[in-house]
Amino acid sequence: MHKLNQSIEEEYDAAIIGAGNGGLVAATQLALEGKKIILFEQHNVPGGFATSFVRGRFEFEASLHELCDYGPESNKGGIRKLFEELGIDIPIAKVPEAYNLIITSPNEKLDITVPFGVNDYINCIIKEVPKSEKSVKKFIRLCQEVHEALNYIKESRGNPDKKILMGEYGNFLRTAAYSLDDVLEALKIPKKAQDIIKGYWVYLAIPTNRINFTIYAAMLYFFLIRGAYIPKHRSSGYTMALEKRIRELGGKIEFNTKVEKIIVKDGKITGLETSHGDKIKTNFIISNASPTLVYNNLIYPDSERPDVGYQFVNARRHAVSCFVLYLGLNKSAEELGIENYSYVISESTDTEKIYESFKNLECPRIQATICMNNTITDASPQGTSILIITSFFRPKTWTGINENEYFTLKNKIAMELIEKFEKATNTSISESIEEMEIATPETYSRYTGTYKGVTYGYEVDSWDSTLPRLMRMNEERYIEGLKICGGFSFQGVSYTNSLLSGQITALLTLQELMNEEGDDE
Amino acid sequence: MSKEEPELKVKIKGKIRDLLAFSKLTSKREKKIEKASAEPIETDFLKQLAKNLHPNYQHLIIDKIIKETKSSQTFRLIADPESETKKLAYFRAGQYISLKVNINGYSITRPYTISSSPTDVTRGFYEITIKKEENGFLTNYIWENWNEGTKILSSGPEGFFYYQPVRDSKNIVGIAGGSGITSFRSIAKEIAEGILDINLTILYGCSDEEDILFYEELKDLESKFPTKIKLVIALSCEEITMEGCEKGFISSDIIKKYADIRKNTFFICGPQMMYDYIDGEIDKLKIPEKRIRKEVYGEIKDVLKFPDYPRENLEKIYNIKVHIGNIPKEIPAKATDTILVSMEKAKISPPSSCRSGECGFCRSYLVSGEIFVPSKSDGRRAAEKQFNYFHPCSSYPKSDLEIVVPRKK
Repeated sequence: MHKLNQSIEEEYDAAIIGAGNGGLVAATQLALEGKKIILFEQHNVPGGFATSFVRGRFEFEASLHELCDYGPESNKGGIRKLFEELGIDIPIAKVPEAYNLIITSPNEKLDITVPFGVNDYINCIIKEVPKSEKSVKKFIRLCQEVHEALNYIKESRGNPDKKILMGEYGNFLRTAAYSLDDVLEALKIPKKAQDIIKGYWVYLAIPTNRINFTIYAAMLYFFLIRGAYIPKHRSSGYTMALEKRIRELGGKIEFNTKVEKIIVKDGKITGLETSHGDKIKTNFIISNASPTLVYNNLIYPDSERPDVGYQFVNARRHAVSCFVLYLGLNKSAEELGIENYSYVISESTDTEKIYESFKNLECPRIQATICMNNTITDASPQGTSILIITSFFRPKTWTGINENEYFTLKNKIAMELIEKFEKATNTSISESIEEMEIATPETYSRYTGTYKGVTYGYEVDSWDSTLPRLMRMNEERYIEGLKICGGFSFQGVSYTNSLLSGQITALLTLQELMNEEGDDE
Repeated sequence: MSKEEPELKVKIKGKIRDLLAFSKLTSKREKKIEKASAEPIETDFLKQLAKNLHPNYQHLIIDKIIKETKSSQTFRLIADPESETKKLAYFRAGQYISLKVNINGYSITRPYTISSSPTDVTRGFYEITIKKEENGFLTNYIWENWNEGTKILSSGPEGFFYYQPVRDSKNIVGIAGGSGITSFRSIAKEIAEGILDINLTILYGCSDEEDILFYEELKDLESKFPTKIKLVIALSCEEITMEGCEKGFISSDIIKKYADIRKNTFFICGPQMMYDYIDGEIDKLKIPEKRIRKEVYGEIKDVLKFPDYPRENLEKIYNIKVHIGNIPKEIPAKATDTILVSMEKAKISPPSSCRSGECGFCRSYLVSGEIFVPSKSDGRRAAEKQFNYFHPCSSYPKSDLEIVVPRKK
């Protein structure tokens, strides 16, 4: 009854599906250019994964560990510049160290805190593995070349001069088709130094013999030269800033509204329909929802669903989902002896074996844990602290669980993750838990709507890494007027990539809108 | 890069092979896609699990009404067989469902704790127990209109008031006032069923002997499981005929008498008057926050009790411009009504559930104007405060307002 009279029937320059990192940026960018836009989000808050929630006197970050390519005022990274361009200014804090890597298996024992900064990073590894100096320096030079090559490609707006690529970025080209392991081996880096370098693999969560080298090198190098940052008010600190900015710029946002149909005619976008009966006319849609959902569920009518859309999805491998334990502790980090912000605690350096553990309904054998107060001192009231333990499951693993087992299972895994943290860091936290929440693949499925709760997009094997995705972007646009941003897009997963993908898809859409206007005249 | 360093030449499998591998990246990608199946993806089990555990709506029907006391009734609710609700969502003892009731065109929501045990879900029902309030707009309506067979729309199970084994002590003390006993009935039943392995002491405060809920049932559980369940009644009325009960409100002395204040976790659920009193008693005992779990405060009954409420506004009626969907609508709003209540009175029904500023369902955007939010019910996140978002269910107008409100799911 209310649904009918509240529904929206209007024409827009562009519609955006999903208010995650990509969708929010795309909407803001288009609104900033004076375009008439509408943004639909099925949940009641913005951000997708980039959000926070309150339990008792604690506000927990939902998913962000380290924002890459933000950089200090004096060395602005892409994300800092992006936020400036979009007109948002948020309080932010600098993460003190890259990670504390702890390997717990008795024959591989390792406990090392890796700093940011190219020289500090190299020195730290050399100190631990003296024989690695030459090869590690070579590795860093290679990372730098990858970084510069990608900058060059970006500056050339995706049309790099092949001669320049061959002449100046030969190493970049020659490593682009290989995995992280392939390259580290070829550089003859001692095993222990390799293990230290691979610490960030948890941010992609596929075995290092499959992680594409280019994507890893680019990420690592950004972290080293620009450090890492987190917003003081959690990721909702900027997602809500964007939400407000969109409204100020005249954009419309509708929460609790699920897009049910992307209407296509003769291979071209003509509009969309929602769960509230909204009928939007538009020739341009930017979807923060994945190709998996777009091609399987959203394109309407069925006859407009291209076979190749299904193939595009099925060829790829959905990445992991997360299991996250949020703890509000009633003692300070100092009192508890939690010294670092970011911990990677793994039972082994064999990333294939660890990845296998994501396939069983047991406690995964790795965790990426952050203590928020070690970056934002006042992240929680004085004398308390927030610890967030993240682990991973393959999307299929939780299939078949029934509802009454679900809560028991969650608690069992949570308990083991806590024990493992305590043992690895020689701390005791279980007696200090004042508030806790557990998120599972089910939770992420519910709040973000991603297929099977997948958090990390599609796995970045070399053939499906950023470079081939970018090189084939035009050919892989199967529907005119439709673009995909976010963690499942051409950019690859991560906060930084998702945010940037929003801007890129908005600028491409803008270009097409201008062409369209040109045609009309 | 410094000049003296030799040129970097990385070789993985051979200079030519490496370049070839690069140049083949895109054709490899094309082939992968070409060879892939054109079938739809397999069904998403997690989506189904999420829907089962957290349905947006549950279509229920009253199966049975049980008179508990002079003024209280238990309603046994089952899935409406004519609806899309095929089975009820599982819950954790202590959680509530939010009922959505339509009274002569006014659509309102009210949270009620589930008083049956989670296991009863597998038997197909929930129970909620409601006390009729004097001059209660909703409860009057319920008493007059709800019969066996009446259909009711409800949320999924909500709330965070439940035992969490990783966090809480295995010995818990339930402090209940009035209808607040419902949570502990659910917990006690789950203990008796051998599912929840904890020990529960209930301190149950009532204003009158006649108002005690579930007395026989809880006494029976106590006698069957003497090491696991204990019931203590505290009566605040003048005349007491019942034996073995405590007199007066549940004071720090009574708590000390029955509980280990150094170890137990305390679960508190009751009317607002009780919360206001018990806070002081808990303070005296110096129990750390970690071991205090409180059910949400509920919709504020009397905003004037907050000393920071701007009293000069008391009689005022403001104008609120509400944007919902494509509709802007101007509505009157009493300074002493929450913004949610004003909207409901104007027959705009935005989403809502907890009515205590906690769940975030009604989160809205304040375009202009000023609001008062009692700190007791301020569940906003830091960024929400910074960027003018608010919860209409726990906010009062201090001036004319313009707000953007979401539509229901």
